[in-house]
Parts: sequence; structure tokens; C-alpha cells
Amino acid sequence: MSPDILDETTEIWFGPQHVSAHGWAAKLTLVGDFVVECDPNAGYFHRSAEKCLEFRNFRQGALIMERLCMLEAFLAEYPYVQAVEKIAGLEVPERAKVMRTIMMEASRIHSLQFWWGQFSAELGLFAMLLWPWVDREFFLDAFEELSGSRHAVSYSTPGGVKYDFNDKVLEKLDIAIARFEDRMPVMRDMLMGSPTFRARTEGIGQYTLKQGLKFGLSGPPIKACGLPMDLRKDAPDPNLAYDMIDWEVPVTESEEHPGESDAYDRMVQRFREMETSVEIIRKLLPLVPEGPIVDPKARGKSNRLPEGEAYGRVEGTRGISTLWLKTTEKAQTPYRAKIRGPCFNSYYSLKHLVPGAKFADFIVVFGSLDPYPGWWDR
Amino acid sequence: MGFFRNLGDIFQILRHVFRQVMSRPFTYFYPFEDREYPERTRGRHIHVREKCTACMQCVRACPNVAISIDKSDKHYEKDAALFFDYTRCIFCGMCTQACRFDALFHTKVVDISEGEREDLLYGPDKIETLDRDPLEWRGRRFR
Repeated sequence: MSPDILDETTEIWFGPQHVSAHGWAAKLTLVGDFVVECDPNAGYFHRSAEKCLEFRNFRQGALIMERLCMLEAFLAEYPYVQAVEKIAGLEVPERAKVMRTIMMEASRIHSLQFWWGQFSAELGLFAMLLWPWVDREFFLDAFEELSGSRHAVSYSTPGGVKYDFNDKVLEKLDIAIARFEDRMPVMRDMLMGSPTFRARTEGIGQYTLKQGLKFGLSGPPIKACGLPMDLRKDAPDPNLAYDMIDWEVPVTESEEHPGESDAYDRMVQRFREMETSVEIIRKLLPLVPEGPIVDPKARGKSNRLPEGEAYGRVEGTRGISTLWLKTTEKAQTPYRAKIRGPCFNSYYSLKHLVPGAKFADFIVVFGSLDPYPGWWDR
Repeated sequence: MGFFRNLGDIFQILRHVFRQVMSRPFTYFYPFEDREYPERTRGRHIHVREKCTACMQCVRACPNVAISIDKSDKHYEKDAALFFDYTRCIFCGMCTQACRFDALFHTKVVDISEGEREDLLYGPDKIETLDRDPLEWRGRRFR
């Protein structure tokens, strides 16, 4: 590099037309091949979901929530349903609790498989793009058999769930999990052992636990630093079945740099998340009790809610997603709904993580945090 | 050791490659081939007019105002004409769940794309009949 190049800075817009930038854009200032400034821009994906929620009744609201993040639809719709259940004082049948939990974990695996393929493709490993996506199809088949739709499942409803398990659903879910268990370890070893992958991810996008907490990160990016912060364990929801079984929060503690995480650690962490999800599903499937799937009084009770406010939250694939709901007396629609997605923080932490990295590593840092534009633009 | 480890890796990769080669393709030659859709598939609707009581529950349940109803158009004692706007419908299934008289159903017809926008506004004639069997179309083969 000649000294002239180092004196000049170049501004490049990464996105919104870039293939990897699906609905977002970041302005990068480069000196030579190094990024010196990163300015993430939100707003390309804005659909005014919070305002839309104010015009939908309490059974329709979950439909908008699941469209915020189609990849984790079972998880994304849950904070709204939970908040409505809290305000209306609804009781969820045992069967619905277990079924919800199973499908939420299946959704987590499916979302992580999608991310895994996409992240590999962003690194240029295109074979690893398609292999997890083929396995992911089997989970989608199970979702379709259950609800009639592959992505927009609209499964949870205040007071229970909408669709019951049947033999075909359980069979397809079993096929999907068996295939996943069979193929995942091989693909994981192939990817993690690849010298190309290690060279592209090790030491990239590194931050300490303290920094991560300061950024407001949650979920796998913070668990990769070694902190077992997980809502499923820390604050078990009475309307979910996580406390019915024994399971451990997956945590990644790097030997080379304890208390810190880089892109490689976050990859390891997400593989552990998938393994934990499979473990939870395997343990919960025999525990599905007989009974109704929805509280018979739920329909009447969720028509008009009393005055109140509630906070719904769930440990999603990308971190903790929450929703604050306020209602007025005998309201048919919410007075105000405020969504806090997990990805706003991970997206804007790029501002601090990217400077100093090479231009080609920008997408590695972005991909390793797994942000989804629907969560920060709402 | 490195040599044997690499050999093992290569065998594992080959095992997966051969498995992929021997298994059937995951993609379909779409307009001419299709798969069987599950029972609960949320495709286009069908309105059974004999059973309809014009209770408006489907209209109220719809989050996107895709359904409108004309109560003056009666063929039977209580029924009404239903107008479906498929430019607005998101196939969420709220209307069919709201119907307590078994008068509104989803079908397995999921390919309803049209050349003109107006063709997606289904009037009472179109929403009450299935112009084709969902499984037999364009000489499709199913696997």
C-alpha cells in the first residue's frame, strides 16, 4: 500500500442492495482495506408493527408479531400472547404448555440451521449453505403438517394453542430430529475443522463479556462469553414447560481467551444451542399429557381485556425478545404495544466491533451476531 | 496420524456425498410436478352457502379486512354472498376458525396467482366453487 492510499478515506455503502444485506445498510469508511468507521443504518425494513398492533384485537396481534421474524415464528409471536394472558388472567392447559415448548424449540433449531447455512455462504463456503437447508426442510414439513403453513404458523393463541398434535405431526417431527442428529455432528466437524473457516472466524469480532453486556446483547452472543444468561432457566415461564425437565444452559468458554468471544466461539455456541434444543424436545415429547389444547373461556376473556399492563418476554434464537402491552378498561385493542427485539443492540454494536477489521471481515462480524432486520425496524 | 485422520474425513465426506447422490432430489419440476399437501394446508377458501348464517364472524375475525359480505343477496333462508379479496388475505386461518357453522374452509389449492389484480377479487360465484380438483392440474405428477 502506498502512503497516498493511507491518507485517503473511502466511503462505501454496504447494502441495501447487497445480497447479504437483506433489508439493511451500513456506511463504511475505509482506509485501504481496513474499516475505520462503521455507521449502521436502520429503517429499510420498517413496517410500523407497533402501530399495526394498536388496530388489531388480542387474538389477531400474534399474527403481526410472527411476521417480525419469520424464521422463529413460534418464538416471535409468544411475547404478545404471554402479555395478553397475563392481563386477561388466562390459564393455559398443561397439554398446550408442553406443545408450545416443543414447537418453540423446533423453531429454534430451524432458525439456527438457516443462519448456519447463510453464515457459511457469507464466508464463501457454499456447500455448507445447502446441506443444513435440506435438513431444515424436514422441520418445515413438520410445521406445515401441524399448522398448514410453513413459516407463518400462527400457532399460539391467548389461552393455549390452535392446532393439536396428531400422529403425522409427531412422525414428521421425529424424522426431522433423527435426520438432524444423524447429520449435524458430521457437518459441524467438517465446518469447524476447515482451515478456511477457522482462519476467517478466529479472533474476528472479539468482545469481552463486560463489553457485550454494555452493548445490551443477549442470547448466544453473550452465552459465548461464558455467562449462562438464559430466560428459560433464570425466569421459567409458568405457561411453558421448561421447568418440567432437567437441562443445562449451553455455554461456551474459550480456553484461549476466557471471558471473551469471537465469531468462532459464537458458532460453537449456536451448535450447542441446537443440541440443547434437541435434548429438550426429546425429553418433552413423552411428557405431552392428554387434555384440551386451549382454555375454553379464553375466547370470551380475550375479547375485551381489563385495564392493565404486562410485559411478555421469551428467550429467542437471537436473544431476549420482549413486548410491553398496555390496555385500557374494556379495550378491544391495545392502547400501546412496545416491542424490544434482540437484534437492535447486536446491529448497532457493529459500530464498535467493526472498526479495525478488514473490509472482508465486516460480514463475518455481522453474520456471527445473527441479527434479523425485522427485529430492529419493527 | 494426520494421514489417517484426513483419510477418515474423506471417507465421511464420501459417505454423505453418495447418500445424497442416491437419494431423490429435494426440488420439484414445479408446474408439472408437485407434492402432496397436508390436511391442514391453508390454501384458498371455499364457502358453503347452504350452511352460512351470515353471522359476520369471519368478517370480524379477519385481521386484514379481506372479507366483505352482502346480506341482501340470499339464495337460502339465512345465507349471504361472500366477497374475498385475495390481494389482502394472509391465509392466517382466523376466519375458518371463527366459523361455527362449518360454512368456510381452506382448500389445498395454493397456486392462485393471476395475471390481473382484479382476478384475485373472488366474488360469490368464484368462492363457492372449486373450478378444478386441487390435486389434478396441468397433468401434474405427484410424488
